[in-house]
Amino acid sequence: MITKNINLGIMQTQVKHPENHVIATKNLGKSVETSEGKLHILSSIDLIIKSGESIAIIGESGSGKSTLISLLAGLDTPSSGTIAINGKAITAMDEDGRAAMRNELIGFVFQSFQLLPGLTAVENVMLPLELRGDKDAKAKAVALLGRVGLAQRLTHTPKQLSGGEQQRVALARAFVAQPAILFADEPTGNLDSKTGAKITDLLFELNLEHHTTLILVTHDASLAARCQRTLQLDAGRLL
Amino acid sequence: MSRFNLALRLLWRDSRSGELTILLAALIIAVTSSTAIALFSDRLQRTMNEQTAEFLAADLVVASPRPVPTEWLAKAMELQLASARTVEFSSVLIEHDEMLLASVKAVSSGYPLRGHLKTVTTDFAQETVSYQGPDAGTVWLEKRILAALKLKLGDTLTVGEKALTISRILTYEPDKQGDFFSFSPRVLIHEADLQATRIVQPGSHVHYFFQFKGDAVALDTFKSWLKPRLNPSQRVLDIHEDRPELGSALTRAERYMGLSSIMVVLIAGVAIAMAARRYSERHFNATALLRCLGCKQQEILWLYGSQFLVLGLAASALGCALGWLAQAGLFYVLRDLLPPHVAAAHISAVWFGFVIGLAVLLGFALPPLLRLKHVSPLRVLRRELAPLPSSAWLVYGLAIAIIGVLVWNYTDDLKLTGTILGVGLLALLVLGVLVYALLQVLRRALPSLRLSWRLGVQGLVRDSRASVSQMLAFSLTLVAMVLSFAVRTELVDNWQQQLPDNAPNHFVLNIVPDQQVAFKQELQQQHIAGSAFFPVVRGRLVEINQTPVQKIVSKDSQGERATQRELSLTWTQQLPDENKLVAGAWWQTAQKGLVSVEQKLAENLNIKVGDRLRFTVGSEQLEATVANIRALRWDTMKPNFYMIFSPGTLDAYPSTLLTSFYLSKDQKILLNSLAKRYPSITILEVDAILLQIKTLLAQLTLAINYLLYFALMAGFTVLFAAVYASLDSRIYEGAVLRTLGAKRSLLNVSHIIEFGVLGLISGVLAVAMSEAITYALYTRVMNMAFHPSFYLWAIVPVIGAVFVGAVGCWGVRDVLNKSPLRVLRDG
Repeated sequence: MITKNINLGIMQTQVKHPENHVIATKNLGKSVETSEGKLHILSSIDLIIKSGESIAIIGESGSGKSTLISLLAGLDTPSSGTIAINGKAITAMDEDGRAAMRNELIGFVFQSFQLLPGLTAVENVMLPLELRGDKDAKAKAVALLGRVGLAQRLTHTPKQLSGGEQQRVALARAFVAQPAILFADEPTGNLDSKTGAKITDLLFELNLEHHTTLILVTHDASLAARCQRTLQLDAGRLL
Repeated sequence: MSRFNLALRLLWRDSRSGELTILLAALIIAVTSSTAIALFSDRLQRTMNEQTAEFLAADLVVASPRPVPTEWLAKAMELQLASARTVEFSSVLIEHDEMLLASVKAVSSGYPLRGHLKTVTTDFAQETVSYQGPDAGTVWLEKRILAALKLKLGDTLTVGEKALTISRILTYEPDKQGDFFSFSPRVLIHEADLQATRIVQPGSHVHYFFQFKGDAVALDTFKSWLKPRLNPSQRVLDIHEDRPELGSALTRAERYMGLSSIMVVLIAGVAIAMAARRYSERHFNATALLRCLGCKQQEILWLYGSQFLVLGLAASALGCALGWLAQAGLFYVLRDLLPPHVAAAHISAVWFGFVIGLAVLLGFALPPLLRLKHVSPLRVLRRELAPLPSSAWLVYGLAIAIIGVLVWNYTDDLKLTGTILGVGLLALLVLGVLVYALLQVLRRALPSLRLSWRLGVQGLVRDSRASVSQMLAFSLTLVAMVLSFAVRTELVDNWQQQLPDNAPNHFVLNIVPDQQVAFKQELQQQHIAGSAFFPVVRGRLVEINQTPVQKIVSKDSQGERATQRELSLTWTQQLPDENKLVAGAWWQTAQKGLVSVEQKLAENLNIKVGDRLRFTVGSEQLEATVANIRALRWDTMKPNFYMIFSPGTLDAYPSTLLTSFYLSKDQKILLNSLAKRYPSITILEVDAILLQIKTLLAQLTLAINYLLYFALMAGFTVLFAAVYASLDSRIYEGAVLRTLGAKRSLLNVSHIIEFGVLGLISGVLAVAMSEAITYALYTRVMNMAFHPSFYLWAIVPVIGAVFVGAVGCWGVRDVLNKSPLRVLRDG
């Protein structure tokens, strides 16, 4: 069980949860108003994710995969239902509260890498630590870049790196802050199959080393197969 | 600290990758131009003040009929003011059986404290500039005296009982004023010889002028210290009090320069707002990532705010340095046209530029920056999510507040600030709505247009609000230029009209009535066009409605000075030209006992129509009823009178006549024959004063011209900022069109159409706005007549189209040159 003590700055609603539940949702739903009426993107999602679990969310385009992880990561707010992370209802937090929660508990890996183009590889990896005020940011970032095989590329900017290298920087950035939960949105989607396979290996190795709960969205059946559990979404509902 | 380091690092990387170039350039130009203008205006104003001080030959003068207490001079010394003294009196000179009434001036060694004297030694010699008067034992004379008294250089002239050697011919004297002592030709001697002339005896009619020079603060202190110690016969003179016609010219010029500077700041501000908006939009993704990684909203604000603060400090410092160089260069280029001694730059002007830089950055860049705070972290997954635009109140409110403070700071006039802001805002609002409506009409016409026109016009109507802002921004640039041009031309014309080339430059006083016919004939024979002859009776205003005037007037007011001395009283049947009735009615029939009073004097003395005024003329007294109040312009250099009586009222008193005429330099010698034939007359030569005023005007015009170039430079930054603000989407669209087979020429023509139409509409708007502002300024503030300028309506829109079209097309050249494949791949 992850027992990070975080101060989210506001009164937390304590949700009763078993010891090893890191994420729990209840009746989670997301809908938007359109000109043709209400569009339900997600409906009645009840989900429990245990600490250290690796989960693949699969489904067709438009099935609500990205919306689900954006809700779970606190990037967006649901229209109905609750989400608790480590027993604390993030649905009751304001945006800054969720930001603090993300900084403490959550790491991300994106399909399009999302590195800051102006910063070097090491500076990109240092970012989450610097935002946390960590004094050893540089040393930790250098160490982790070494771990992902980019020790020689520390001062290169994203433009000077290949796609695979950029995603390795992104992996280093995701793990450097020791997140409890890692969200990965199509992490190999922009890479060729060979490079994608290497990145997948690295992702699972790091996940194992850091005991992180991994939640990834993918179209890639082989990637999904490496996760302990697969959740399939269809038209906004879990099958 | 690590967050600040992060901010610095982001700033450094952004600036290296060119992200900040436009913003930085706009800010540097804003600071450079405002610093340069502040410094330039400051130095020019100081120089002009110093030049104006030349009219007094000092910064401050105490005029007194007798020497002032030594304690006053000690106080001046304590305040580190330099001092000098002149003593003026009239004396009859007799040489070779010829007699001439001359105005003698004995000067101390420090004279003149400001300005210089000019002398020659032969007729054709070049004038020599001297910064001190004649040595003891020598005398400098006006050339007329030599002719009149049959003397030449090197001869001896006896002044009173002292024989002095004539060493130079005096051609220019800075403080020669149009009062009694300037009427007769000048004799300049050293103070050391004064006693030996034995002219100045107790009770003699002598004027002492104690002159002081020093820094403004010390002068102010001295002036405040002096005022309570002055007795009624003593006066303090400085440029604003003693020469109202120059004071108002300077005030007007200062205001105009200030307004031009604000235009430059406003235009640069628009450029900064556009560049900051682009910067902000290009940082949405990075901000979303930072938010995703756990950055709070306040931290985002701090992160970018601290970057902008560093940017502002650096750009302001650089801009100040460049501004200093720019004005130094400007003065270097103008060195032949400006006086030899240009006042030094003052550090406060540099500081002002620095503060302006930060204020403009705050006012114009903060709203787009605040948008970053609202970037959703979800944007990392969904790029189309953009934060809501900043509130219009915030965007415009801040900018208006900053500009308002600046306008007020420059004009120091709430009424003028209100007028400028009010009219400007109203015009922007009305024009904004009009342009929006026009764009909607264009949008409807789209389907019927040819492809190149459709693409061009589509560029304008796609984002109507952005197009409206761009057009208003370009319009502002053009307005600044049109206003500078129109107001400058008008302002100078106005002054020139006041002082036409053949403005009377000589006044003749004390013409005995019997001589009037003969004198008029003499002028006609010499082909000299004279003005009307005005009868003059010297009298003093003593009572208003039976209350002594001394009890009514305030110290140092115009009213005080008017009651301190004898006034020239005249009478006429007709209201003189350039006089305007403001209250009461002009007398139609011969009604005795009426008087017309000049408006400002009436205000100072609280004189109303129907009041009874009592005058003393010689030993007699005279009463008259105020029939009307007249406004007139003192800066026309024509005979003007405080008091004009109805015909017959002054018949009982001895009068002389006054006239004025224009005399060219070649005709100057005629003055001698006039003076000889009519020994009683007094000739006042005002051409030297006119020349000084014209020189001042020429320099003002020059300064204003240069301010125009700064407005132009700021205009360029707006143009580029606007073009670059939309460059990303233009490049993308261009790539799509080219991929679909559009030729470069089609894109090129559509760009010409888009920017040409943008410039054309902006030009029309600019003329409309500048006409509105000019109308408001002229009729409400400057009290001048307004005439619409039809030629502006024809020229400015064309200039707008060509100017905006050319620069716009150059700015978007990347749309044609970037590889479509690369653009589309980079997304």
